[in-house]
Amino acid sequence: MDQKTFITLVTPFKDKIYRVAKRLLISEDEAQDATQEVLIRLWTRRDQMKKYRSVEAFAMTITKNYCYDLLKAKRSNNLRIVHNNYEDHSRNTGRQIEVANEVEWVYTLMKDLPEQQRLILQLRDIEQFDNSEIAAMLEMNETAVRVALSRARKTIREALIKKQNYGVQ
Amino acid sequence: MESNKVEQLLEAYFEGATTLAQEKQLRDYFTSTEVAPHLEDYVGMFSAFAKAQEETYNLPIEIPKPKRRYGWISGVAAVAIVVVGLTIQLKGDNDAYTGTYEDPEVAVLKTKQALGLVTKMFNESTAQLGAVNEFNSTTSNFFKK
Repeated sequence: MDQKTFITLVTPFKDKIYRVAKRLLISEDEAQDATQEVLIRLWTRRDQMKKYRSVEAFAMTITKNYCYDLLKAKRSNNLRIVHNNYEDHSRNTGRQIEVANEVEWVYTLMKDLPEQQRLILQLRDIEQFDNSEIAAMLEMNETAVRVALSRARKTIREALIKKQNYGVQ
Repeated sequence: MESNKVEQLLEAYFEGATTLAQEKQLRDYFTSTEVAPHLEDYVGMFSAFAKAQEETYNLPIEIPKPKRRYGWISGVAAVAIVVVGLTIQLKGDNDAYTGTYEDPEVAVLKTKQALGLVTKMFNESTAQLGAVNEFNSTTSNFFKK
């Protein structure tokens, strides 16, 4: 496979890699670096790609693994503590006011979901993969995917309804 | 879409029981302009999902340059040079050690001469060690028994 064929092959889902990475890593810069890294990993494993039913699913698995590794490394570097302090601070100063519109508010709520739920919600409701594909990508069973998905959606709904009831004017 | 059908779909949606096609119906409904007032709470959620799909990655894809096709030739050349070098070296060494004496008597004399030389050198160097004794005599001035 030459470079040109490879680029034609990955172009349809490079945006997905980027969006999933950004959902997990939050930072735009980190997501761009991650996308680049995932594409390089795909390139180096281009001979193995034929073995997979869907190259796209294979790419998602690599993205997930890479982002989880990054997040794990960050946690072990104690960056998590710093980040939490920062989050708590913004919560105290009334984060709802910062988030001007509903859509941005939903993205903020998604950041608070546990990593796995956040990833599953992204893969299903934004990237439009079905549960069996997601289960294969994340090495889980389909029921677990459905449960996590339902939890994530409900958490967001509850937060939205709470905001409607007590929310900002 | 009628609002009671939307309500049913929503209920299934939060249980994770909708299909991708049904979820698309929900997104289409909530991003349209005809959302029933009592369902407006959900507009943000589905618009957020719809909007998130539009985000793209626009940086050029950089992949490492493919390896040069004849790159392996330099490897072969390096190995060839080492082999040639070693062969010459070893051959040279063998020539140096082939000299010997044909006559046994001459061989004995030459060996004696060589050993004598070694003995002479050895004695010369041990003679100089005599100076070390000086240390013993000087330290005995400080350490009285």
